Amino acid sequence: MTTMIQVENVAKTFTLHNQGGTRLPVFDDVNFTVEAGEALVLAGASGAGKSSLLRILYGNYRPTSGAIRITHAGRPVDIVSAVPRTVLDIRRRTLGFVSQFLRVIPRVSALDIVRDPLLARGASQGEASDRAKAMLTRLNLPERLWNLAPATFSGGEQQRVNIARSFVDPSPIMLIDEPTASLDAANRDVVVELISEARTAGSAIVGIFHDEAVRERVATRYLDITSFRKAA
Amino acid sequence: MTVHASFPDAALEPAPLLTVSGVSRFYGERIGCADVSFDLWPGEVLGIVGESGSGKSTLLRCLAGIDKPDAGEVLFRAGPEPLDIYSVSEQERRRLMRTAWGIVHQNPRDGLRMDVTAGGNVGERLMDRGDRHYGKIRERALDWLQRVEIAGSRIDDRPRQFSGGMQQRLQIARVLVSEPRLVFMDEPTGGLDVSVQARLLDLLRVLVRDLGLAAIIVTHDLAVARLLTDRLMVMKDGHVVEQGLTDQVLDDPHHAYTQLLTSAVLSV
Repeated sequence: MTTMIQVENVAKTFTLHNQGGTRLPVFDDVNFTVEAGEALVLAGASGAGKSSLLRILYGNYRPTSGAIRITHAGRPVDIVSAVPRTVLDIRRRTLGFVSQFLRVIPRVSALDIVRDPLLARGASQGEASDRAKAMLTRLNLPERLWNLAPATFSGGEQQRVNIARSFVDPSPIMLIDEPTASLDAANRDVVVELISEARTAGSAIVGIFHDEAVRERVATRYLDITSFRKAA
Repeated sequence: MTVHASFPDAALEPAPLLTVSGVSRFYGERIGCADVSFDLWPGEVLGIVGESGSGKSTLLRCLAGIDKPDAGEVLFRAGPEPLDIYSVSEQERRRLMRTAWGIVHQNPRDGLRMDVTAGGNVGERLMDRGDRHYGKIRERALDWLQRVEIAGSRIDDRPRQFSGGMQQRLQIARVLVSEPRLVFMDEPTGGLDVSVQARLLDLLRVLVRDLGLAAIIVTHDLAVARLLTDRLMVMKDGHVVEQGLTDQVLDDPHHAYTQLLTSAVLSV
């Protein structure tokens, strides 16, 4: 098995300088690994720090201490201490983040949003379009919406565009935060299938799923992060 | 393969395009900017944010060759050897400014020649570069006007007949036509209506990506920084108080001042 993520002694405390220097300890001494082909589901009550941990793995939140080694182009790279352009390269080629919200960019069509990661990885225009269309079809996004900018789409439609963008070319590591929050049952099933397909193809998955049925279908292993909770 | 071939893989680029060390500029007793150091790599877009008077425009002027810093150096790699932009002759620096990098001013009037046609404004940069074939220059000018969404039929109009948003797009065409490797932008969307801003931002985003430009963008608008930049430097009272990946700095700000900035806007 190939270790894709190795978390070592990670701690996180937020310090709110403009609110009297309040310190919000989230967790400390977090240690775990994730292998290729497994789906690790983060468990723990709301507010336990699941989303914070996921953002730390992505290099978005900066931990107070510790290291996170991401296997990138065959070698472990600590995303915490890496320079910005290395972090961006890791995200472009190795590490995907699927959130519940689409960051809408003015004037960019749904199809272009989904094509974008393929083009960034060097696919031809034609191949990118074909694969993007196939993914939007699979997620039941009506064809009449493809060439429109998603600013006016419903929450569920935007979410499906975001999922299509994330799964059109699954990364070796996929970090997933509540992907099915506002989807109907049929589309929820598609998302579960997409995650399972990515995992079977070798991606390492780390996710947060509030829907218990989804969680049980996706998970190969659970990690209860309450155990890392720092005594306040 | 030529010496100036671009490097498709970021990991293979041998050296930063710009190396800034210890740059300081003082106005008498007052600090303009103090001890600023960073590297900028080919294709990277760096944002400098901070409120008015934080020193971000002063820093930009030092980096862009307009205003000599009192201390520190700015190294630019146009060829194999890095060049200290303030130790070369005035003439050499001006040549660099016209060919290897470009400056987009907040006020288009500072970057355009208002008494020269739109086509002339764009074509002039090509002539600076040594192009002499009138037909080809006009053809390229026309192509660039269309890329910045100005109708070709306006090619012989003067900028004063254009709206503010069009003038800004024309300035961008004038800067980018000479294919600079590095572009400096000072509040490029400042003073424009929100809808005009959105269009300009989208245009800049696409151009920067398609051309693989390195850019340094000064803005006080965090949403602009979020959309256009890879990295962010936060300035306060002339000092850099925090820097990192743009999403790190905006989503998990560590410095008190950055926390204040990010909490003062509704949603970025």
